[in-house]
Amino acid sequence: MIDEFIGFFRRVFAHGENPFSRDYIHNRMRPPGAAPEQSFMALCIRCNRCLEVCPFGSITRAGLGPTIGTPYVLAERKACYLCMACTRLCPTNALESSLRNPEQARMGKAVINTSICYSHLFADRDALPRDAGARIGALCNTCYNVCPLQDKAIMLQGNLFPIVLDECVGCGICVERCPTRPKRAINVVPTGMGRPDESGFYFRKARKHFDVSRKTVAGDQSGVLKGDDLMDAKERIDGSGGAPKFTFPYEVDKGLKDWE
Amino acid sequence: MFRPYRRASQFAVFLLMFGIPLLNLWEIYAITGTFYAINIGGLGIADPSAILQSMFAAGQFAPPILFSVFFPVLFAFLFGRVWCGWMCPYHVISDGVAWARGKVRGMIGGSSEPETWVFLDPFKANVTRYSFLLLGTAAAGIMGIPVLNYVNAPGILSAEAMILVRNLTISIEMGFIAIVLLVELLFLPRFWCRLFCPTGAVVSLFRAPFTLRVVSASNKPGSPCCKEEQCSAACPMGLAPYREGGNLLCTNCARCIDACRGEKGAGLLGFRGFQD
Ligand code: SF4
Ligand code: SF4
Ligand code: SF4
Ligand code: SF4
Ligand code: SF4
Repeated sequence: MIDEFIGFFRRVFAHGENPFSRDYIHNRMRPPGAAPEQSFMALCIRCNRCLEVCPFGSITRAGLGPTIGTPYVLAERKACYLCMACTRLCPTNALESSLRNPEQARMGKAVINTSICYSHLFADRDALPRDAGARIGALCNTCYNVCPLQDKAIMLQGNLFPIVLDECVGCGICVERCPTRPKRAINVVPTGMGRPDESGFYFRKARKHFDVSRKTVAGDQSGVLKGDDLMDAKERIDGSGGAPKFTFPYEVDKGLKDWE
Repeated sequence: MFRPYRRASQFAVFLLMFGIPLLNLWEIYAITGTFYAINIGGLGIADPSAILQSMFAAGQFAPPILFSVFFPVLFAFLFGRVWCGWMCPYHVISDGVAWARGKVRGMIGGSSEPETWVFLDPFKANVTRYSFLLLGTAAAGIMGIPVLNYVNAPGILSAEAMILVRNLTISIEMGFIAIVLLVELLFLPRFWCRLFCPTGAVVSLFRAPFTLRVVSASNKPGSPCCKEEQCSAACPMGLAPYREGGNLLCTNCARCIDACRGEKGAGLLGFRGFQD
């Protein structure tokens, strides 16, 4: 209790964090063009014009809590279809009103949980989940087929299973349609929410560089790598995997740990 | 008699609150939005108190946003606080509650007692609502959230109306309206508009020498022109209209004008410049 209290003040005063706007959940995004969460919470006057105008009924009004009344897209319920009707109406620029190009929306980024995705399961392990057969073929790839930015935001690796690329705008259509239950195999991590799989990536990479250099220089002289060989060895260093022990101030979906 | 016109205006705005989302469901977008911020044929109009909050919370100052308060402010400069008296959807419900309270008091025999305006005189009422506005705005600046929008009665009502039309539900914020109305019914009639409402406080601020106001044609300035003082009894803001027509609380609702019997049966009160 007292620790939480101290932690709260430290976050507010030492890190300048706004304690009322760091509330993230997977598959819950702000509408397209939203300002960074902290400014969004300040700018949005809860007028709900975005909600009113959305022809797909994608936007819901947040319930009790600090974010009460603000707009969210709940991907599992109804994704955003990127019509960009809401952005131009926002009176305070909480949604960037000049944003017209859906490809520039940055609502979040989809991440595939390879341990429950039907296509990944089939491609990686030749396995079909017991309950899947009735509903889908072995290779589902629904997310790929429904994505409005097909082949830009998501592509099929070797024509077999989907992988998400950097162009993903986080509209959540793939989440809405993904057939796995109760958890979806593809989830949108909203913009602003940290990702454990990305955290410390450069730190880990630098660390491994250091280790390789040390080993090759100080170790067995006969095996020392020099020049191009050393560069080759370094270039092959991969910083992914083995996420460091960080604590995250939001709910972390453990399933996302070893995406891709 | 101003009453029929005022009622017509109030009910029209009240119905508009449901009409806008209905039109939008039929894909007519000539008018969109809620009473936080509305867009009429491309012209953006926003609640000045909401914009004030948002500006303080975000710490930025954007000219296009400021433009959206131009018309409300101009309107207030010309006609005073008429948004409250003639349009606000909360006010028309509050009128109903005050009427119901009058009925109940009549039934339990306390009808001859004057209403509890004594609770706070107009000066203290103004101090209360501007303190509330200042504190709320400061809190918005500190917390980075436009907090007073959580208690914006007309905004909440119209957002709820829109959700009701679209989704056939209402949300938790209706509870706030219900509590305020209950307090008005049981303890303090009209307390929200007199003592707290940030929208009302902001739109009252814009007053100029030429702003529409109630004046008395009596030649006894400052003291009641007649014995009955029907005008003071009728005023929902607890003012003495024959001398306080220019008070920031006055909504120009014209109840006092309708109630005034005058000295010889001829009304003495009227809007300045529009007297007979
Ligand atoms: S239109 Fe803008 S200010 Fe209004 S609720 Fe949506 S994001 Fe907030
Ligand atoms: S872009 Fe279109 S579909 Fe997406 S939230 Fe805005 S209005 Fe709805
Ligand atoms: S829709 Fe879901 S199950 Fe199907 S391929 Fe995409 S992530 Fe996998
Ligand atoms: S992968 Fe495509 S459908 Fe899924 S969130 Fe990204 S852009 Fe939307
Ligand atoms: S004071 Fe507020 S609630 Fe009352 S009539 Fe004016 S805007 Fe409406």
